[in-house]
Amino acid sequence: MIDKIIKAYNEAVFETDKEAAFAVVYAAMAEGLSAEDIVFKVVIPAIEEMMANITRDPDANLAQHFMTAQIAAEVTEKMLEKFQQPPEMIGRVVIGTAAGDLHSLGKRIVMGCLKALMVDVVDLGVNVPPERFVDEALAREAQIIAVSAMMVHTATGENGARRVRQILRERGLEDRFRLVVGGAPYRFDNELYQSVGADGWAADGLSAGKMIVDMIRGMKREAV
Amino acid sequence: MPTGSSSITLTVHAESESIRLQVRAGESVRDVLDATEHRVRAACGGTGACGACVVRLLGGAVNPLTLAEYSKLPPEERAAGVRLACQLRLRGDAEIMLDHPAPPSCWMSIPAQDLAPAPAARPGLTRHIYGVAVDLGTTHIRVAFWDRKQGKRIATRRGPNPQASFGADVLNRLDAALNRAEHASELAMLARSAIVHAVRDILARDVGEVTPMLAEIGEVVVVGNTAMLALLAEHGGDALIDPANWQTPIDCAAPLHDAWHAQWFMPNARIVMPAPVAGFIGSDLLADIVATRLTEGPSGAMLIDVGTNTEIALWDGAQLQLTSAPGGPAFEGVGIRHGMVAETGAIFRVSALPLAESAALSFQFATIADEAARGFCGSGLTDAIAVLLRAGILKQSGRFAVTPGPEGYCLDPENPRTAITSSDVDAFQRAKASLAAAMATLLHRAGMTWADLTRLCICGAFGHQLDIENAQAVGFLPPIDPARIELFADASLAGCERALLDPEEAALFDQKRAQSRTLNLSLAEGYDDRYINYLRLRPLPTAL
Repeated sequence: MIDKIIKAYNEAVFETDKEAAFAVVYAAMAEGLSAEDIVFKVVIPAIEEMMANITRDPDANLAQHFMTAQIAAEVTEKMLEKFQQPPEMIGRVVIGTAAGDLHSLGKRIVMGCLKALMVDVVDLGVNVPPERFVDEALAREAQIIAVSAMMVHTATGENGARRVRQILRERGLEDRFRLVVGGAPYRFDNELYQSVGADGWAADGLSAGKMIVDMIRGMKREAV
Repeated sequence: MPTGSSSITLTVHAESESIRLQVRAGESVRDVLDATEHRVRAACGGTGACGACVVRLLGGAVNPLTLAEYSKLPPEERAAGVRLACQLRLRGDAEIMLDHPAPPSCWMSIPAQDLAPAPAARPGLTRHIYGVAVDLGTTHIRVAFWDRKQGKRIATRRGPNPQASFGADVLNRLDAALNRAEHASELAMLARSAIVHAVRDILARDVGEVTPMLAEIGEVVVVGNTAMLALLAEHGGDALIDPANWQTPIDCAAPLHDAWHAQWFMPNARIVMPAPVAGFIGSDLLADIVATRLTEGPSGAMLIDVGTNTEIALWDGAQLQLTSAPGGPAFEGVGIRHGMVAETGAIFRVSALPLAESAALSFQFATIADEAARGFCGSGLTDAIAVLLRAGILKQSGRFAVTPGPEGYCLDPENPRTAITSSDVDAFQRAKASLAAAMATLLHRAGMTWADLTRLCICGAFGHQLDIENAQAVGFLPPIDPARIELFADASLAGCERALLDPEEAALFDQKRAQSRTLNLSLAEGYDDRYINYLRLRPLPTAL
């Protein structure tokens, strides 16, 4: 039965058909599948499949990324409400766009993916001052600070990721948090993330989800 | 190949190519050619006084020689079919040869059907009776030259904004101006030179006198988006790039009259730049509102000016709610493999031919000036996506049913410039979702839904060409009665002309600004969600 559901769900996601994806999920629950099984056996493998596809097909359609990430996030959110026990989250990320940058949509894809991968996401919104990234990461006990910047001057400027790194250093917090960045300027120059002091970056929103999850897992291993 | 509704066709042979143009009864051949890249030489306003606009008639139904032609053309030339283009009028299809075209120019006349009727006259004026209205767009500059006393439009021009050498979009130009002072002055100089070039082109070709006439110009009114105004005036650009100011008024400053007078050779011109509303809402939107009389009817009147920076206004009966949205450039061809602005050779309409038995699906195009298709303008792209969707070649997700490969799906297998690629579809989806979500969010914030829209005025990139049903089918325009959707070409210029000709209308700009309230979509609740929900290629949901 589960194979049939996975196939139908993947088809709906491939067609970016949210209504169809929910129909598959609700039909599966009616047949007795648990919300936990739907998330772990259907939704998450589908995202992982999608991420793998992106590396094979880098020109994949951005509109489709938005829609698939949204479907994954919405289905997961609905399923989490139905979990028997509060789910164990992988970790927590504070995310926002750099000061001076109002482009909110890039981080939407990342957030959608992270939520579907059972990562807790704190959205700080757009035009976020560097101090606030650090303050919120501390207050919310996050592992990752994610700064999105879509323009060269916000990606490389003094009030973006660069300043977040500086504050982490000044306050002696560099061991506690990893800093990741994303956005168009980092795609043009694949080494730019290092020069602004970030620990990681990804070329697209879906891959960013995977990079962040891997990074959190790495941090947890180091801590053990 | 089908074209517009007119039935008279003028075939023009020039050195490099031949084009076919649709002509309206009564229009002179010169007026027809002035709106194309094939201009005749000219040094008067089309009165037959200069005798420069010679063409050779090869055949067809035309008016007899006029007195002006008898006086300007020697008998042997008349016998050889030589005519003056300004005197030549078609009575049926005709064919001409352009032996001595004017040197190439980037300035063309705006087609008569895109212009608004003359709004007013100022018979009381005694001196400096001429005036210039300028719509300073990011991509195009539009200029109209007026006899204000008689309320008569003498000529218009449309040409590219030469600042494009610093970047197609507003932010790159602002960035350049902020980084280096000499870039700032170069950007300002480029725009100012372009405006005066357009005016000089009009004076040379449509009036016949340049410098003395420049001194007779009494007023120049310039509208544009805030960034263009700031770059023109070299003032306010630094405030613009800071998002904190996107919703607040930006002082683009009164022009430096002395410097501009000297540069323009217009010593008597009062230069007027109505103030923009906010960092991301320019005076061009105010001009649109004035031109469409948006606030003069019932509430629920919306206006969207699709351009490089798309601006939207909603009249709720008491206030003007204004915003701007990204997403316009795709409709001007930016980011579309074979995208282009609405110029000669642009596909502006696409339809599928009825499927004959056993025949493959084929498509029909209309191109501007009926030339071989060079690419798609905004309306052609919208049609193409709608037609491919209806034929099942495209799916609602934006994927092709059968992947067409990197070269894309060719609507005309013989012409690679009719191809639509996967990434074109993607760019189109994001553009239309952005604009639809912006309209919906503005409406929602005013407590209305699509059903409350009494008017939807579409201005900007599409001109008169957008197929409304197709735009609704792909989820760009909302699902309302198409009779409520109105298409306007060059509305900003029309509003600017009103300000030039009527001092009360000029005061209207201030009144509209005072009535307005701005919304920054990046901070608006619900915009992102709607954007994602509207990405699919299907009609927009009726509920917001």
